[in-house]
Amino acid sequence: MHAMTFIGPVILLGVVLGFVTMAILFERKVIGWMQGRHGPNRVGPWGVLQSVADVLKLLLKEDIIPHQADRPLFKWAPIIAFVPAFAVLAVIPYTPTVYFADIGVGLLYYIAISSITTIGVLAGGWASNNKYALLGAMRSAAQMISYEIPLVMAVIGVIMSVGSLNLMTIVEAQKNLWFILPQFIGFAVFFVASLAELNRTPFDLPEAESELVAGYHVEYTGFRFAFFMLAEYVYVFAMAGLTTVLYLGGWNPLFGMTFIPPIIWFVFKFSLIVFSLFWIRATLPRIRIDQLMQLGWKVLLPLALANIFLSAILKEIPWIGQFY
Amino acid sequence: MVVTGESIAFFVLSMMAIGGGMMMISATKVVHMVLSLAFSLLSIAGIYVLLHAEFLAVVQVLIYTGAISILMLFGIMLTKHHVTEEDDQSPRRWHPFLSFLGVGALFAIIMGVIYQTPFANNEEVTQSYSLEALGKAVFKQYVIPFELTSILLLVALVGAVILAKKEADS
Repeated sequence: MHAMTFIGPVILLGVVLGFVTMAILFERKVIGWMQGRHGPNRVGPWGVLQSVADVLKLLLKEDIIPHQADRPLFKWAPIIAFVPAFAVLAVIPYTPTVYFADIGVGLLYYIAISSITTIGVLAGGWASNNKYALLGAMRSAAQMISYEIPLVMAVIGVIMSVGSLNLMTIVEAQKNLWFILPQFIGFAVFFVASLAELNRTPFDLPEAESELVAGYHVEYTGFRFAFFMLAEYVYVFAMAGLTTVLYLGGWNPLFGMTFIPPIIWFVFKFSLIVFSLFWIRATLPRIRIDQLMQLGWKVLLPLALANIFLSAILKEIPWIGQFY
Repeated sequence: MVVTGESIAFFVLSMMAIGGGMMMISATKVVHMVLSLAFSLLSIAGIYVLLHAEFLAVVQVLIYTGAISILMLFGIMLTKHHVTEEDDQSPRRWHPFLSFLGVGALFAIIMGVIYQTPFANNEEVTQSYSLEALGKAVFKQYVIPFELTSILLLVALVGAVILAKKEADS
């Protein structure tokens, strides 16, 4: 056993926590900029310490458990929601040398483990014994079931052209051409479905603050609430990493610019995805619940299926086949 | 018997699986039951990982977490939430004793069968079973049963839709 086996995940956790604090600040700054505001600018220079102050506030807050709540489940729910969020990071390869678990079914592992979070959300919503929380939890489950199918169907195009579920092999296969070009329909479906899986605007119905107060975590305060939020932002990290690996060529450089190290390329593409997530949040209104189901089942699923057929046909055509 | 990391992991995982099953039986609230079921099923996925059946483990997690969430939704929607579970002090006092007897007999029979069944002594090498080999077996060697199963599932799906539609119309 290597020393890195134990230290590596700890470092990763530190990096992820750092990312989360910075991402929250960045999100508020970006949204502020798009809406013609300054965003947070009081705590520290340029508001850098705003998220740190927020986290400190959350940790110091009184921990309230509602009298009518199901106490053990109320305490377990944030843990069930958070643990999978960190566990999925194990399979994402950052560079040819920086990776944690190089397992054969990496892609499926990510999708399977990430769906466990819904159980945590559902348990939290039910244990709160509050009708808004329960409604938010119900919406979350419905959304997860509806959008996981197009998400999986969209990546089948990638899997077909690589012939492997291993994320390292998928990145290696994009040496010459990133999959965002030949698999563009797949990428579009994947990106929309991943927004829904992340519960981010325009798909933030499980916690729609204007109709459900705060959805499934309405009764949560202090560090339990912080854990739900943390899970959400760790998923942003994971999903941006996965999108980079699947469609943007991971650490592969553009135009053969190999003098820039692979990790910088990865971080650059990763930041681009994270920025688009914030951009979408700042510009799109929330989708209606009936439109949500229609979009999932009547638009994304047929598109994803069409993408599978198209990839299978184009693979057999002589010259074009080399790209698939 | 040599105590290796693998055997420790197996014991922990199997205790978790059995413990989840026992919690499932003894819990009184529907949501608790469903969650203990999920715990049990996820531990079984861990045992699959120990057997180098990674694909099976991942699919187990993928399918059962979805199934568990749906089961939980139905559990919440179809049962009364606010009614506190009444302690059923059933007048049938012999029931625990009789059921213990029945379970004990079942256990004895199963253990007897397991110990009498001769196992081939050679250990199977599971490390070499790759996902690729599995795909080839399913889509080449057993393609006809596989397709027939998918048609069967499709028929069941269409049947369920028709049944639900009839109810909605009336």
